[in-house]
Amino acid sequence: MPNADTSASPIVSIVNVSKEYTLGETVVPALRDINLSVAPSEFISIAGPSGSGKTTLLNLIGCVDTATTGQVIIAGQDTRNLSERQLTELRLHTIGFIFQSFNLVPVLSVFENVEFPLLLQRKLGSAERKQRVMDLLTKVGLADRAKHRPSELSGGQRQRVAIARALVTRPKIVLADEPTANLDSKTGENIIDLMKEMNQIEKTTFIFSTHDAKVMAHANSIIRMADGKIVEDAKRSTKSRDQEIRA
Amino acid sequence: MLQLFLIALRNLAQHSKRTLLLGGAIAGVTALLVFLQCLSSGIHETMLESATTLSTGHINVAGFYKVTAGQSAPVVTQYRKLEEVVRRTLPDVEFIAPRGRGWGKLISDKGSLQAATGGIDIAQEPGFRRVVRVAQGNLDDLAQPNTILIFKEQAKKLEVNIGDVIVLSTQTARGTNNTIDLRVVAIAEDVGFMSMWNVYMPIESLRRLTQINDESTGALHLYIKDINQIPRDMDLLREAFIAAGYKVMDREAKAFWMKFESVNREDWTGQKLDLTTWEEEMSFLKWTVAAIDGLMYILIVVLLIIIAIGIMNSLWIAIRERTREIGTLRAIGMQRRRVLAMFVIEAFTLSVLATFVGALIGAALAGLLNAAQIPVPTGARMFLLAHTLKFTLDLHGIFNGMAVITGCTTLIAIIPSIHAARLKPVTAMQHIG
Repeated sequence: MPNADTSASPIVSIVNVSKEYTLGETVVPALRDINLSVAPSEFISIAGPSGSGKTTLLNLIGCVDTATTGQVIIAGQDTRNLSERQLTELRLHTIGFIFQSFNLVPVLSVFENVEFPLLLQRKLGSAERKQRVMDLLTKVGLADRAKHRPSELSGGQRQRVAIARALVTRPKIVLADEPTANLDSKTGENIIDLMKEMNQIEKTTFIFSTHDAKVMAHANSIIRMADGKIVEDAKRSTKSRDQEIRA
Repeated sequence: MLQLFLIALRNLAQHSKRTLLLGGAIAGVTALLVFLQCLSSGIHETMLESATTLSTGHINVAGFYKVTAGQSAPVVTQYRKLEEVVRRTLPDVEFIAPRGRGWGKLISDKGSLQAATGGIDIAQEPGFRRVVRVAQGNLDDLAQPNTILIFKEQAKKLEVNIGDVIVLSTQTARGTNNTIDLRVVAIAEDVGFMSMWNVYMPIESLRRLTQINDESTGALHLYIKDINQIPRDMDLLREAFIAAGYKVMDREAKAFWMKFESVNREDWTGQKLDLTTWEEEMSFLKWTVAAIDGLMYILIVVLLIIIAIGIMNSLWIAIRERTREIGTLRAIGMQRRRVLAMFVIEAFTLSVLATFVGALIGAALAGLLNAAQIPVPTGARMFLLAHTLKFTLDLHGIFNGMAVITGCTTLIAIIPSIHAARLKPVTAMQHIG
């Protein structure tokens, strides 16, 4: 049952994007003339070997890095025309991040970590914030760990906190860079299931990079990359996905 | 902002060793600053009390009377009229003491010395007893005519004791020599420079010696409630005396006995008033406080530089350790200025806590030493004008000191914090280490 709304205007649009890094006198191309369009509510996996450009592509979509050439349009905004401050605002209100190493603030509790983006937004009052954070922690199964520090949690639990933090602002897009890489396969599977569930409930677009074929199997679209290029952009049916997952 | 403060506080708690080391250093500098400030305030206060009791008021209405152009006497005539002008101009003046002024030679059977003679009405000046500690004799006897109070060192030089008679030879207001026999009724403990050349005798006896009438005196010592108002009161008095038709000398920050030479060179006769503050009269001693303050500031500046380097290094390390965290926070939508604020708040919090603890330690130490009544070595007594070390808690100064140290350490933290704030999120997130 695909939930992507392919008829709507794309939430992410990448047009002729290249990214080059300069290492001393050497110019290293990380992305070469990429074109990509992502519809709202999609659950996309970016696959490819190390150095293929997955993380670079996610960084460009996440507005934490800028393209050397080409156009990156996020939620209708051309990122080339935005200042650093506007890019930060775009990240705060439109994008959620899930990192491979969880990247939680170690001195804040689970509750405070999840609440943090809401405090940056300054939109909700204290009671509403608490309600929203506790709802999400309940959904990720960590309501009883709200007062714990990240160091007191397992890897899987930390990643669930990171998911809650990414979703708490109700962003249009959630980017996850190898979210299961530091987890055992069963926990990784659970995390992907959770992300999928959130994708279906909240209608949030998920774009995640992975090496893991089992994880890839959950995506309704797989973008395969190699040497900085998209070599395959495959939309997949629910049936084929289910077969792969069972396999 | 509350969350940033929380992060700062918890980071300080998490890195307890670093916090204790750096906080301890800041607290140490603050404690030293507070301690030295208390010492400086104490010396200043002691000096003020000693000086304003022994030889000057907070403000002095004095002057010179010249019979001929080259012959001046430290005398003001018709002082009661001057007193009226003072009371009219400064209604809140606390106390006015007429004091005789003179300079002469004390001669005993065994020796002689030059001394400034202060004419005093001992019954009217209870504060005099607080400063002058009588080693032998009785201060009340100074109310009797032809008596004198001298200090221990002077008694030793003149080889006299209580009851002995010494001769004071001086010039009258008209420039002729005159002498008087004075009975030593009190020998006081030395109080530094002041006791080297000051002696005290009844004002009436001094008037007779210098041949001035009852309406004349050496100076009016004015004591005011708020010494911070001295500059304002000086201006008001100057204007009032000029308006009342008096000739007032230009202000010169020197003791009266340092002005004879220049006054005698001036081509005028009659009366001129000279308004001075206690600091001007004691200007030759002000270097003591200035030297202590100077030393204190040099020491504090050196220590502050060391602390600043420590804070900066510590923050560089903290930023290096937390680069990925900075990257994450920037990625999830924290603006640069908030990252800057996060690290500055951390340095500020550490500084505030450390300076507060340091100020308490410094003040407690000063209080303990004050209670211990540490005697001032004889050499130091010359400049400090006191028998025991006094520490005064100057709250205003302490808060200023705390603010300066907190301000400096917070300011220095801005440099690494700006670096943290300017990190590109992608660079910070990819940081390894």
